[in-house]
Amino acid sequence: MLAYMIRRLVILLLSLFLAAIVLFVLLRLLPGDPANALVGVGATPEQIAAAQAQLGSDQPLAAQFVKYLRDIVQLDLGNSFVSRASVLDEISRRLSVTLPLTLASFVLALLIAVPFGILAAVKSDRWYGLLLSVVSQVGIAVPVFWLGILLVYEFSLNLRWLPSGGFPLRGYADPARAVQSMILPVLTISIVMSASLMRYVRAATLEVLGSDFLRTARALGESHTGALMRHGIRNGAVPVISVLGIELSTAFLGAVVVEQVFSLPGMGSMLLLGIQQRDYPSIQGVLIVSTLLVLMTGFLADLLQRVLDPRLRQGGKQ
Amino acid sequence: MSTASTAFPRRSKRINITFWLGLVLVGGISLAGILSLFWTPYALSDMAGGRLEAPNASHWAGTDRLGRDMFTQLMIGARIALIVGCGAVGIGAAIGVTTGLLAAFATRFLDDALAAFMDILIAFPTLLVAMLVVAAREESSLGTAILALGIGVSPIIARITRILTKQVLGQDYIIAARVSGTSWGAIVFWHILPNIVPFLAVNLALQFGLAVMAEASLSYLGLGAPPPNASWGHMLHEAQGTVYTAPWGAILPGLALFALVIGINLLADGLRDRFDPSRRDM
Amino acid sequence: MLSKTDVFPRRSLRLHSTVAALTFVSAFASTAMAEGFNPTAVINIGSLYEPQNLDNTAGAGQGINEAFNGNVYEGLFVLTDSGDVEPKLIDGYDISEDRLTYTFTLKEGVSFHSGDPLTAADVKSSIERVTAENSASSRKRTLAVIESVETPDDKTVVIRLNTPSISLPYNLSYVWIVNDDAGDISARADGTGPYTLQEWRRGSALAMVPFEGYWGDAPSNGGVMFQYFTDATAQNNALLTGAVDIITSVQSPDALSLFADNPDFTVSEGASTTKELLAYNDRIAPFDSVKVRSALARAVDNKKLLSAIWGDYGTLIGSFVPPTDPWFVDLTDVNAYDPDSAKEMLAEAGYPDGFSFTLDTPDYDPHPVVAQFLQNELAKVGVEVKINIITANEWYTKVYKAQDFEATLQEHVNHRDIVFYGNPNFYWGYDNPEVVKLIADSEGVSSIDAQTEMLTKANKIIAEDAASMWLYLYPQIVVSTSNVSDYPLNGLNAQFFVSNIKKAD
Repeated sequence: MLAYMIRRLVILLLSLFLAAIVLFVLLRLLPGDPANALVGVGATPEQIAAAQAQLGSDQPLAAQFVKYLRDIVQLDLGNSFVSRASVLDEISRRLSVTLPLTLASFVLALLIAVPFGILAAVKSDRWYGLLLSVVSQVGIAVPVFWLGILLVYEFSLNLRWLPSGGFPLRGYADPARAVQSMILPVLTISIVMSASLMRYVRAATLEVLGSDFLRTARALGESHTGALMRHGIRNGAVPVISVLGIELSTAFLGAVVVEQVFSLPGMGSMLLLGIQQRDYPSIQGVLIVSTLLVLMTGFLADLLQRVLDPRLRQGGKQ
Repeated sequence: MSTASTAFPRRSKRINITFWLGLVLVGGISLAGILSLFWTPYALSDMAGGRLEAPNASHWAGTDRLGRDMFTQLMIGARIALIVGCGAVGIGAAIGVTTGLLAAFATRFLDDALAAFMDILIAFPTLLVAMLVVAAREESSLGTAILALGIGVSPIIARITRILTKQVLGQDYIIAARVSGTSWGAIVFWHILPNIVPFLAVNLALQFGLAVMAEASLSYLGLGAPPPNASWGHMLHEAQGTVYTAPWGAILPGLALFALVIGINLLADGLRDRFDPSRRDM
Repeated sequence: MLSKTDVFPRRSLRLHSTVAALTFVSAFASTAMAEGFNPTAVINIGSLYEPQNLDNTAGAGQGINEAFNGNVYEGLFVLTDSGDVEPKLIDGYDISEDRLTYTFTLKEGVSFHSGDPLTAADVKSSIERVTAENSASSRKRTLAVIESVETPDDKTVVIRLNTPSISLPYNLSYVWIVNDDAGDISARADGTGPYTLQEWRRGSALAMVPFEGYWGDAPSNGGVMFQYFTDATAQNNALLTGAVDIITSVQSPDALSLFADNPDFTVSEGASTTKELLAYNDRIAPFDSVKVRSALARAVDNKKLLSAIWGDYGTLIGSFVPPTDPWFVDLTDVNAYDPDSAKEMLAEAGYPDGFSFTLDTPDYDPHPVVAQFLQNELAKVGVEVKINIITANEWYTKVYKAQDFEATLQEHVNHRDIVFYGNPNFYWGYDNPEVVKLIADSEGVSSIDAQTEMLTKANKIIAEDAASMWLYLYPQIVVSTSNVSDYPLNGLNAQFFVSNIKKAD
């Protein structure tokens, strides 16, 4: 296990390094010198040169890359060209919206997907088992922004139960309103996400149902439900966990769109604004932090899978 | 794992329903898209209709603010969705299958490196990659978006190709072929590709749905192809401001998008059941 | 003239005119609600224009004018919502015979939010903040006429000019008086206005509370909160659900139908100065030809366009000058819609088979839809339009700064901005020596009548030259819940004075 952890950690660090390279290249693909974005109208060549020196965009690429890596390691993401405020501060403020949004959606999606997915598998011959499969098919195909608009229309405009968007000025210091303003966005993401998760859970459960050890357990006198609970969930969880990393990044992707629909001040809207304004430090900062989070999630998911899966734990090799 | 030659589906009623429903939806939309090349009820530039007409006998899906026929736009949108889906999946498959095969055949070290690289690329959400690439171009175009989405889906395809290829490589008959002196090229061509293509096809179909959905999201965020390319996402973007006074403008393109994506998913499920009944519902 | 970030948040250009402002339209929404209001109620204002930062000399954009002008910061003068330039932080001023020296006497008893009293040194440093080398203020160029600022004593400021400027008070109304000890104000504020900044959460909202030590009348509300939205639908939803009390400008007629016949809401129309236009690059062929430009103007049915975008709202003006400018004349008959004559004129100009050009189109409503309309209209006379969608940022760098474009769409928001046609270096490059001279001379005159006469003449020449294609004048509409009253309607130059706003329980 320790050997595996070390190996996985090395891969994580390598991944982070590779991700840094990919981002560096992608950002250099954007047209124009970022220095032009920093100085105002009618800037003199001297002012542009000064801005380039300040940004280091007059340095050779290799030197820029070294500086870029050093800044990342020191968690120095620079200052926004537009607001002039620290990008890291801004990101941490916006993470306080996006992280709870993503995590809550994720947890809710699991809470919906696991029981219903199992039910759909166990009762696949009943009408409601079939219905659940159909519902999950439908859920996957619904455009997330479309669902968001629909929910706003029903729960905000018609029923007046929940705010249609925005986030309270004082954030979580105003807990009631903060939670209220998160409900519809969380619902939107988790409905779409639970649909695809449900498919995985259902498939995993079907596989467990057909497996030998469950038959053995029953032969040894355990009840069907008992055997399913004792062995099935653990075994069924393994393939599901392996897709969680991807699903979490999907949730983040959903957050980009959903934050737009609900006017939430999160990472997604920061990225979109950054792209519109060519605010390089903000774009770079958002992408670095989000990639970091997704890679970390993948790392944790792999470790968890390792702990849960008896075969992997003993075999030591995938 | 079973191969295509050994897998004959149990032709249960449900498989048929799934498969045929998917085929009808995808086929219908494809036909509308292809038909739009030769005929639409009105010219796209025809602004003779009233402002935001509700669906009626002369405008089956109503009109937009400029008085243009929405049904015409929906048909052209179908064409664009097909181009986006095929284009993105084509590019994604070209990159992904090559990389995946390479990784599967490579030395342990290179394989690990490529696998890690794919994981990183998968960690970049497709939409964000696409947003960056689209923004990277001075002039946004449909081609840019397709390229971006193609690159975006390629790592997933590469990963699946790698896993499938490795599974096939472990089979006895490959070892036998290798021992009997068959070249690697011939093995890929005669043994590996025929075995992985059916499963790959299922996955490509799913990626098709993802790409179409992602393009719609891009267009919805205002980063899509420029007008007058009436992509469904663009129509949804346009209808945003009139969603309460002319809801059909948002409902119809949303339904079209929904129908295509669910159709392609059903089709993929039906195909999977055909190829491999033991992996139903994965 | 225009700071780069002016383009971003408001996403529209408010290109400031340099002409002294006179009486505009007196328009404050005042209803019978004025009594019975709750002086401690917080007013929630929905806006699409979030500032980038809080410093108007650091490219904060138009949102900062909306939130802070007259609310948190004040100037020596104020441009009221009805268009008058009135003294604010001064008791009076003298102008020398040669109109080159202005002597201001500051008001007594004014203090900053931090408690520091207002002194002449604060005024001097505030003006210098705007004219400084690294300032990105849109006022910077217009204040270049200032040669020096002197402070003979704590309450007296003397400004000396290079050349006479009839617009100096108008331009000074944009110079915030900031405490000279305040330092960097991009994330905090220290002004003399009736409100102090309470908190700003980027991407969400900005809150202000009444300033206890304010020198003037106390606000008639208990504070305001600007809530920022990125799309108009979300903003309308917020008003419908009561999350905000007012939205500062409505961007489509379809939203209005939700409010217009609803007794819970008040829809008010102010005087508009926002003009949608297609600006050609007048320097390059074929747009250097008056005939070609006139032909294109005749090929487009503006009336149909206006009703497509705005339904029953909005006005056609046929020029760049809105009815509220003194030099307005109805010029809709000049190059009126007439596709047949458009074709003839194109042939006369040497383009019997038309031509093709690229239209740089900002990516936000209504520009893309307007571009498609123009594409279809011009196709009928054989002119092919290629639509190139760009962000506001790209518009600024490509069109405004590099002037690398054939034609573009833009809305120009300010009143009295006809003077841009007197600047041959402006992005559209219109260069008629007669107009340049008329506009330049109108700044040096001493009487308003002379100024009006000169600019009316310039207006007519510009229209006959078809310098740009002026499409329509937006309506200026403010919507509020019906228990809120006394808010500004014209939103002149993006300002939104909040201290009179009253909210009934």
